[in-house]
Amino acid sequence: MTEYLIRRSLQSVLVLFLISILTFAMIHAAPGGPTQVLLAPGLSPEAAKIQAHNLGLDRSVPVQFLSWIGGMLQGDLGHTFKNNIPVGDILWPTVGHTMVLMIAAWLLSLIIAIPWGIYNSTREYGLSDQTSSFISYLGFAMPTFWFGIILQQYFALKRDWLPLSDMYDMDKQGNFGNLLLHLVLPVTVLSLGFLAAYVKYSRSSMLEVLNQDYIRTARAKGLTERKVVFRHALRNALIPIITILGLDLPILVGGAALTERVFNWPGMGRLFVDMAVAREYSVLMSITLVVSVFVVIGNLLADILYAVVDPRVQYGRGGGTAA
Amino acid sequence: MAEKILEIRNLTTGFLTDGGMVKATDRVSLDIEKGKTLCVVGESGSGKSVTALSVMRLIEYAGGMITEGEARFDKQDLVQKSQLDMLNIRGSRIAMIFQDPMSALNPVFTVGEQIAESLRTHKRLSKKEAWRQSVDMLRRVRIPDPEIRARQYPHEMSGGMCQRVVIAMALACNPELLIADEPTSALDVTVQAQILELLLQLKQEFRMSMLLITHDMGVAAEVADRITVMYAGAVVEEGTAADIFERPRHPYTIGLLQSIPGLEGERGGELYTIRGAIPPLSNIPPGCRFHPRCLYAMDLCRTNEPPLRRSLSGHMAACWLDDTGAEDPRPGNPNNRETKVTIGNRPEVTFP
Amino acid sequence: MSDAKVLPPIPEENRYEPREKRAKARTVEARPEGPWKTGAKKFMRNPFAVAGLVLLLIFIGIALLAHWLAPYPPNKLDLMFPNLPAGSSGHLLGTDELGRDVFSRLLYSSRISLTVGFSVAFVSVIVGTLIGAISGYFGGWVDTIAMRIVDVMYSVPSLFLNILILAIFGAKASYMIWVLAFTSWMGVARLVRGNYLQLREMQYVEAAKAIGVSDWRIIFVHLLRNSSAPIIVTATLMVGGAILSESALSYLSLGIQPPSTSWGLMLSNAQASMLTDPMQALYPGLCILIVVLAVNFVGDGIRDALDPRKTTIPQRRLDQWRKRFSKSGI
Repeated sequence: MTEYLIRRSLQSVLVLFLISILTFAMIHAAPGGPTQVLLAPGLSPEAAKIQAHNLGLDRSVPVQFLSWIGGMLQGDLGHTFKNNIPVGDILWPTVGHTMVLMIAAWLLSLIIAIPWGIYNSTREYGLSDQTSSFISYLGFAMPTFWFGIILQQYFALKRDWLPLSDMYDMDKQGNFGNLLLHLVLPVTVLSLGFLAAYVKYSRSSMLEVLNQDYIRTARAKGLTERKVVFRHALRNALIPIITILGLDLPILVGGAALTERVFNWPGMGRLFVDMAVAREYSVLMSITLVVSVFVVIGNLLADILYAVVDPRVQYGRGGGTAA
Repeated sequence: MAEKILEIRNLTTGFLTDGGMVKATDRVSLDIEKGKTLCVVGESGSGKSVTALSVMRLIEYAGGMITEGEARFDKQDLVQKSQLDMLNIRGSRIAMIFQDPMSALNPVFTVGEQIAESLRTHKRLSKKEAWRQSVDMLRRVRIPDPEIRARQYPHEMSGGMCQRVVIAMALACNPELLIADEPTSALDVTVQAQILELLLQLKQEFRMSMLLITHDMGVAAEVADRITVMYAGAVVEEGTAADIFERPRHPYTIGLLQSIPGLEGERGGELYTIRGAIPPLSNIPPGCRFHPRCLYAMDLCRTNEPPLRRSLSGHMAACWLDDTGAEDPRPGNPNNRETKVTIGNRPEVTFP
Repeated sequence: MSDAKVLPPIPEENRYEPREKRAKARTVEARPEGPWKTGAKKFMRNPFAVAGLVLLLIFIGIALLAHWLAPYPPNKLDLMFPNLPAGSSGHLLGTDELGRDVFSRLLYSSRISLTVGFSVAFVSVIVGTLIGAISGYFGGWVDTIAMRIVDVMYSVPSLFLNILILAIFGAKASYMIWVLAFTSWMGVARLVRGNYLQLREMQYVEAAKAIGVSDWRIIFVHLLRNSSAPIIVTATLMVGGAILSESALSYLSLGIQPPSTSWGLMLSNAQASMLTDPMQALYPGLCILIVVLAVNFVGDGIRDALDPRKTTIPQRRLDQWRKRFSKSGI
């Protein structure tokens, strides 16, 4: 197990290193090179030269990469170009805000979706199953941001039941009840997407398991249907769902970014979009890396959890996949 | 006549497909005497497994259902029982083992847990007692180091070992009837013999009756008291092992026997095969269902279905060419062809 | 065992079968209709799939004929009549904040969405298949490198990567197809790789190699044909995903730029004038929803049609059938 953990962690570090190269290379592949991209527009050639020197842009590319990565590892995310604010100062608070939104939506949808999917797998094509597949189709085909806009128009503008946007009212910063009110709409929007996916996964995973030979064996033993489903099928069905939860993380984070933008939620996603429009590349690079770290850690945790629940996983070899 | 543990009469099992209802078994009748072994043989797709699953009433979980007939086990018709009542029979009075032992065991539980579960369900044992008996069961299926093995997961064991575990699980509650569906087909040849030997020994030890399904005539020769030959969902011949191997009466059985390499045939000769292939269940030919593949097919075979007719010795076959049934000297013998010919519908078989 | 004792001699006409006759009989027997034909039949029996296909064809028709169908040019300003409600004279769905006809703009927008959707799916399926096939077939270090790249691409949320690239290189409609394809080929690559890993162990690959068929021919002729079904399904479902991504990027004003128009861009405008004209946000979103729904229905329909285990029997019929014929207790 320890060996597996170490190997799997090293793999994650490698992936992160490659991502940092990718991000860095992208800036340097931009038309006109990094100087063009990174410097504030409208500078005189002399001033540009000085600023380029200050930013270290006149060094060779590998040296620049190493110093950037070195700074990153020490928690120095660089400065914004326009106002020279440390990137960390604007980035870190948004990470927390995004986490609040994502975790709320994620937990809510998991709690609803997994029991629902399991229930549906035992009553295929029943009313509940048809409802959930209708929701799934909607969830997969609907632009999340559009759903957000529609909800805003009805619940905030037309009815004034819920706040239109932001995380708190201006005069109620830090008030928990106020936060909950503000969470309702964005969490609904985000959950719909997650829900659509998870009901489908848990249902199909469960159906797959219910068709296995060992379920027939369990029935041949004379076990009640309840025991067959909850004892024998459920544990096996949850195993692949764990992997999917890990693999889906990037999509979820992406969805959160759009939702944040619609509801003006002060999270990483909104910051990213704002900074993309403002062309603040050091912030963009930092956010890309931070998000990737989250995703890679999420995948790592999912893999470890998988190895814990599935006795078939051989820690020593085989890259952590089931036999 | 010995007491019968299982009597299946006219059991018909259907599946609904895109092309309409398909009969996976068509009026199958068979008997198992107490303490005896009945082998059901036939190619894959002949309805052997469906018959077994129907008796267990597991067929409903596989998408099929029983449309006709009865299966009397200890005087009670299993077909009429509710699934709830079946829970008390499955695993405790009738047990079943399946073809692929590796996939028949739940990968996330240790083998000990899986055997103990059976005991706890039917015998209401304490956890500790169930575990003790599980280890004991593993010992009785000749697994070395049963205490250690009981704590292992199925994927840590070989196929033969898994099949022993499956057998231990099936026999844990001392069933009266064991249904074994191709118990050795997924195993290596050397292991096959061991498992078969084990099954025969355990049958004596536990004083069970056995319904063994196989496509392998060699297996049937080794273990069977009686043999039922099925083809395309119906019984075509039934008799003692000696009847089937020494006096086969149906051309299909003869074909099956001739296709065993090296059993009786001349060495160096061409390996015998029955021409053609088993028809899909959605497209059973009219008349005798074997006629398109039968070397002896006559015009009658193409239109009329032959009845299953019984000779005095109890050997039955469904073939128009076979006139052994007419040897019965008693007047008005219902099995005489003249009185028994019914067109289009398979006559009921009467048992004395 | 002497069958002669029990059975009469084999009738003359059955005795000898010339080899040609046997072969002929066998081919007739062993020729059920192919999987594609069965699939097509099953597809046509699936009402959702057919409805999806019809809707999709309608939208393709609209995109092709937008020039003739639209009552106004998409960018014709009419600053006198901004934000007209739906049903106003001459404007079926009203006008936007600049007085442009919403209905006409919706029709024209379908061009961008469908073009982007199908091109992205096309490019990423080709790239993904190529990479997946090569890495699955050859294995070894080629496979290791390819799969590390896939891991990396999977670890950055594709929306973030899209935004980053478009922010650096500038938002242009023509870039967008490449950018979206760049971040969506990995799924196909993994799928194809998995398929090829299994397929390359097959006997017929060894047989083909033994008679001197080149690796490339095996990869792109023999094996590709055998994994085409899942590729087609993924490609179809990818169209919907690409349409959604396009709308998201355009909504963030990093995608389609004015004067071109797309549903995402219309939504972006609509949110800006949300207070004055709430209905404007409804139509473009509905269009996206319907098109993506249609594509997904088609994709799911193809998947089910090519899945031999899936039947097209509705549950209701199955229940009725059980009630009518089942003799067993409940």
